Amino acid sequence: MKKFALGLCAAVTVALMAWGFYQAIYVAPDEQTMHEVQRIFYYHVPSAMVAFLFFAISLTGSICFLAFRRNHPERAQASDAWALAGAEVGVVFCTVVLITGPLWGHRVWWGGGDWGHGTWWTWDPRLTTTLVLWLIYVSYLLLRRFAAGPQVQALAAVLNIFGALDVPIVYMSNRWWRGAHPAPVFGGGPDSGIKDPAMLHAFYWNIAAWLAWGLLLLALRYHVERQRQRLAAQQAQEAIEA
Amino acid sequence: MDTKAILDHQFTVAAYALTWAIQLGYLAWLGLRWRAQKRNAARSARNPR
Repeated sequence: MKKFALGLCAAVTVALMAWGFYQAIYVAPDEQTMHEVQRIFYYHVPSAMVAFLFFAISLTGSICFLAFRRNHPERAQASDAWALAGAEVGVVFCTVVLITGPLWGHRVWWGGGDWGHGTWWTWDPRLTTTLVLWLIYVSYLLLRRFAAGPQVQALAAVLNIFGALDVPIVYMSNRWWRGAHPAPVFGGGPDSGIKDPAMLHAFYWNIAAWLAWGLLLLALRYHVERQRQRLAAQQAQEAIEA
Repeated sequence: MDTKAILDHQFTVAAYALTWAIQLGYLAWLGLRWRAQKRNAARSARNPR
């Protein structure tokens, strides 16, 4: 039954991904000024939204870990697994954002001429805060991977809580400060938003698709971490008994 | 097709391909890790200390 449910979720996710791709490439019209390269938007923006969601899940997991660690060790371990899974999958999506953004920017922040000598990177507030967010969560994952001792989970949870403070700063960066990054698509003032319904549908389908894909990865990563925790606990118990 | 349109197309393809490479690469790494852990668990169950 569990395998059937997992297979069904995977099938729905693959179907959504295929449909989202079809919508982004074949259905959505070309944008008037950026033309074809604007289609990167359908992967870039949903990836950023999903990354933010997973960093929020990771933050919740870390807060719950710190709250439960003394009185409910089993719940604390489950919370810690959610924190790790959220951070890791969030970093994957954030990496996609940091790669697709410069590819798009290089064509749009374009100096002129047929070959296009555009800018790959600029220290714009949105770009800089996103890079800082990525570095914070990579350091969180490296801490978890290489540090040893009983306090590692607690230290990582504290780092996660402080790291998550950067998420609202990234979100607000292109509202608070002016830079090269475009204005927000939603909630960025009276002129913000996507006007063409075909573009809007393609955008929504890709949000649904990447969300489903991300949740599948999150569930898988959580399962792997719980399995590792159980194995480590079992080996520790055997070592005590020996 | 002019040069600008060709470059736009190539950059779009690169962005989509890299996105898929990262996502599928992570899924493959996760699958390998899951399999290795299952083996460890089975070994541990067979040979308790």
